[in-house]
Amino acid sequence: MPPESVEVLVFAAVALVLTAVFAEPASPRRGLVVKGGVGLAGSAAIVTVPTFDIALLVLLMVGFLQAVIGGVRPFEVRLRPVVLAVALTAAGLVFARATGPEVLARFGAVGLGAGLAAMIGLLPYIHVFEGDEPVAPSPFAWLAFLGPVVATVFVARTQQELTADAWAAFGAILIGLGFLNLVWGSLATWLATSTAAAWRYSFIADWGLALCAFGLTVIDGRRAALLVLFSVTLCRLPLYLLWRHAAGERPVKDRPVNLVVAAALAGSAPFAGFAARLLLLRAATQVFWPLALVLALGMLLWLPGSLRLGRGVALPRGRQVAAVVVVLAVNAAAGLYPLPLLSAARL
Amino acid sequence: MLEASAGFIAWLGASLVVVADGRRGLALGVATSALGMAGIAWQAAGPAAALALAAGGALAAAGRLRSGAPGWRIAPPGSTPRIVLCIGAALVASWVGLVVTSGGGAGLRFAAVVALVLAPARILWSDDPDVQLSAVAVLALGAGAASAMGPSTAQPWSYVAAGLVAAAAGWLPVRPEVRDAA
Amino acid sequence: MPSFAVVAPIAIPLLAAAAVAAFRLGRVAAAVGAWGSAIALVAVWLPVRSSLELILGQLGYGSSLDLRIDAVTFAFGLMITIPAAVLLTLQPRAWQETALSLLGVAAAMSAVEAGGVVLTAIAGSTAATLALVYLQTEDPGAPRPTWGLLLAGWLALAWVGVILQVGGGTAVYTAVPVSTVTVPVFIVLAASAVLVSCLFPWRAWPAQLWTRPSLRAAGITVATLYPLGFYILVRAYELGAGRYPSIAFNVLLALTGVAIAVACAARAQAAPSRREFFAEVVPGFGGFALTAIALGTPLSLVSGLVTLASASALVACLALLPDRAGVAPLVAIAAAIGLPPGIVFASRVIGIEAAFEAGELIGLIGLAGAAVWALWVVAGARATGLPGGRGHPLVETFPRVSTAIAAGTVVAGPAVAVFQLGFANPAAAEVMESAAGSLAGGATSVATESSVLPAVTLLVPLLLVAAIAYVGTSMKAIQTQARPAIFPLPAREWLRQARALVSSLAVPDQYRTILNVGELEAAATGARPWLWLTALVALGFAVTR
Repeated sequence: MPPESVEVLVFAAVALVLTAVFAEPASPRRGLVVKGGVGLAGSAAIVTVPTFDIALLVLLMVGFLQAVIGGVRPFEVRLRPVVLAVALTAAGLVFARATGPEVLARFGAVGLGAGLAAMIGLLPYIHVFEGDEPVAPSPFAWLAFLGPVVATVFVARTQQELTADAWAAFGAILIGLGFLNLVWGSLATWLATSTAAAWRYSFIADWGLALCAFGLTVIDGRRAALLVLFSVTLCRLPLYLLWRHAAGERPVKDRPVNLVVAAALAGSAPFAGFAARLLLLRAATQVFWPLALVLALGMLLWLPGSLRLGRGVALPRGRQVAAVVVVLAVNAAAGLYPLPLLSAARL
Repeated sequence: MLEASAGFIAWLGASLVVVADGRRGLALGVATSALGMAGIAWQAAGPAAALALAAGGALAAAGRLRSGAPGWRIAPPGSTPRIVLCIGAALVASWVGLVVTSGGGAGLRFAAVVALVLAPARILWSDDPDVQLSAVAVLALGAGAASAMGPSTAQPWSYVAAGLVAAAAGWLPVRPEVRDAA
Repeated sequence: MPSFAVVAPIAIPLLAAAAVAAFRLGRVAAAVGAWGSAIALVAVWLPVRSSLELILGQLGYGSSLDLRIDAVTFAFGLMITIPAAVLLTLQPRAWQETALSLLGVAAAMSAVEAGGVVLTAIAGSTAATLALVYLQTEDPGAPRPTWGLLLAGWLALAWVGVILQVGGGTAVYTAVPVSTVTVPVFIVLAASAVLVSCLFPWRAWPAQLWTRPSLRAAGITVATLYPLGFYILVRAYELGAGRYPSIAFNVLLALTGVAIAVACAARAQAAPSRREFFAEVVPGFGGFALTAIALGTPLSLVSGLVTLASASALVACLALLPDRAGVAPLVAIAAAIGLPPGIVFASRVIGIEAAFEAGELIGLIGLAGAAVWALWVVAGARATGLPGGRGHPLVETFPRVSTAIAAGTVVAGPAVAVFQLGFANPAAAEVMESAAGSLAGGATSVATESSVLPAVTLLVPLLLVAAIAYVGTSMKAIQTQARPAIFPLPAREWLRQARALVSSLAVPDQYRTILNVGELEAAATGARPWLWLTALVALGFAVTR
């Protein structure tokens, strides 16, 4: 069991508990907890099973179950990305394990990299999105809840499967895909016509950072990835749910809460996103410093979109106040002192 | 010889899933594919693995008989592209399994590539949930069979998992689109 | 002194902020927090007068929690905390604003107490975030810094930190190997400093904030954020063992400082109101301070630090100043333009002398500094008769305190040698250890390489002359009225033309369909199999190259 996967699983569990405790209406909460619990159990299975093959089959089952539970999009649309991801990954594994020329292992790396992107729903394998779809059957389930666990398992298992050359190619693929998602996601967060779509793109932008971090294949890269995933699961997801709960209300523009939320979403200090960016810059500087420059410039793209999302958040009421305070406090603590998180993941 | 036959049967089953639209045709495809995969698995991982895949495939095929368009509907009019796809996949899988890669287990590689190409292709190009679920079963069986190329420590659990996923694909109900779920 | 005491200047405002948030407290708690921070700083530094460091172990990004109070921290800490404390003590604020202000003070103090570059970046970025939240909370429609600009500065500094960590194994100011501070690294470092304090010749947030109707948030923001860019440049000397990696950086930064001072003076002489004039004062001081700090000699660095300290005093003064006419603005103008025998006057004399002593091209920079100063004096004379401006709520103005602060900077001129001896020289010695021996003089005079400035004997008589002149002058002679600019600002017209040109740019009709963002998005998000297949082929092609 990769320790970082276990830790990300705990993040997902905490996010689910936060949602369960602080969600306002009773009936969606029950449904969300049941469906989230099943997803969490699936994630736990993915983490704990002994081989990549079984993890892949569990993933197929989880994706299949997610497609089965219903939603706004047609069944076939919900099922396709998961099947594509599993097929690509399985094909990647076949190529990586087969005896043959070195290029075969590189094709294996392509399959595994593309499979990872397809599973989470990142460019160019982005999932079809409907703004009014419930969270559990929507692409957000992959982007924010299942994806972080799956990604850490994928990367840890992939490292065991690939040769050094193919592992380097896998890293390059992740960096390429990461940068594509980073730029596209952050710009689209800013420019998308609907706020729901903007939220989706903001997750994609964060995933861009995470993919770059995974792709850098140095320890600081893995640390950065862990913090980005922490930020996705325990900052962006709860705040997105808060926005959803209050989507009908008129947002109170430019109150402190809007800007603090925007700061947390943008990865400003002292929140976890800044520490993640710091570690990412550190990793990129170790590998190839111009990459760090490009990443630093890309990181500035977060601001306009985050301001937009922050301004869309209505003033929290009742339990939501506690939820927002907990989320922001936890993120600030993780941003200022991430060592416990990193140590727990043995990074 | 047994491995080659099993590979061929696996391809035949996967191809049936690609070219069939009726519940019987799909069930036959899934069952045939499972039989081929079980043969492959027997050679690579022993009878327990083969049994797991065969049982999963049989359950999936039985479940498929419950729903979907009635009849066989194998290669209905307009199926030429699908047939071409099946033949193309067989050629590519043969090339990969025999020429590009080396070492034993060519039949396993052939069957895995066939399943991993044909099943997703069927899912991507079809809007019928019953057809898609049949293809999911084939994909699960193919991925399970391919696990023989990986570390042997987990056998036969990967085959059991593949069988379970395939069976689930045959039996789990599909809910229509809803807008009031959580 | 136990090393744990270095936490006090940060912890006190933090605790005060927590108390304010918990119990909805007001000015008393704010004053306790801010003054407590300043007093703790003095109490920790003065008894030992040498570095006191606390290292509490790793934080997780290659840096340990390393807090240090040394002479530089002391100088910048006072520049941050004292004006903030004055403003928090006097101006009424909602509890949210008070808490944000105290958090901002704590963050800024953390930035100057941080033992390494990375920690400074994190703390400084936090201070910037808090300042932005405060400014936006107070008045969403009023001018505020661009978030992206500030974040870019702190992100650049963070990158410098990680480059130093990767290249030299550490980003701790006192431990970074000099060879790690290369020209490219310093370019990023200097850029971060320039962005953090927005040291540009054009009108940026340090000037724009003063045009906000209320100056509660503006005062705190300028007090906590503006010195931090200069702090980075001062610490850069420590990183480079007393010098920048190339003399070109000294020249370029000094020229930037002159350009800023010139631009601010030019805008000040054309200001339509006294408020607009005062808006240029702090950035103008920044220009002079940047020039002095960048010259690269211990004496010029001392001059820069004294200029910055004067600027921080004026931050408090200007934030408390009412818009109406009277003695208060008059004294503030006198302090702002560096009228003799004020401490601003003395520091500029020392700075210009340091420039001349540095010789060659840098001597010319000193000459330019003198000319700009003259322009400031003219602008100040004009500003005495300008309309005051509007909007500053009376409840947050304290003319007597404002006058006292401004008068204090004027009266403190003869004490420049003492000030330099106790405040600036130790800081310069901290970052320029090898050249620190050239700093001489005593409590009554400032010794330079070529001469001695007898501060007390020269400036005390001047102070008396100024006092007599003031007593003998009638305020009634000042006519408040709109006045034409001494010379027009061509840059404004150029800027207007450039904006018009940019806004008139358009893609010709026949080319507009080349890139349709909406269609591109639809293609990417449509989950089309052919796109997936193409992407897969492209990836396969890429990894086989």
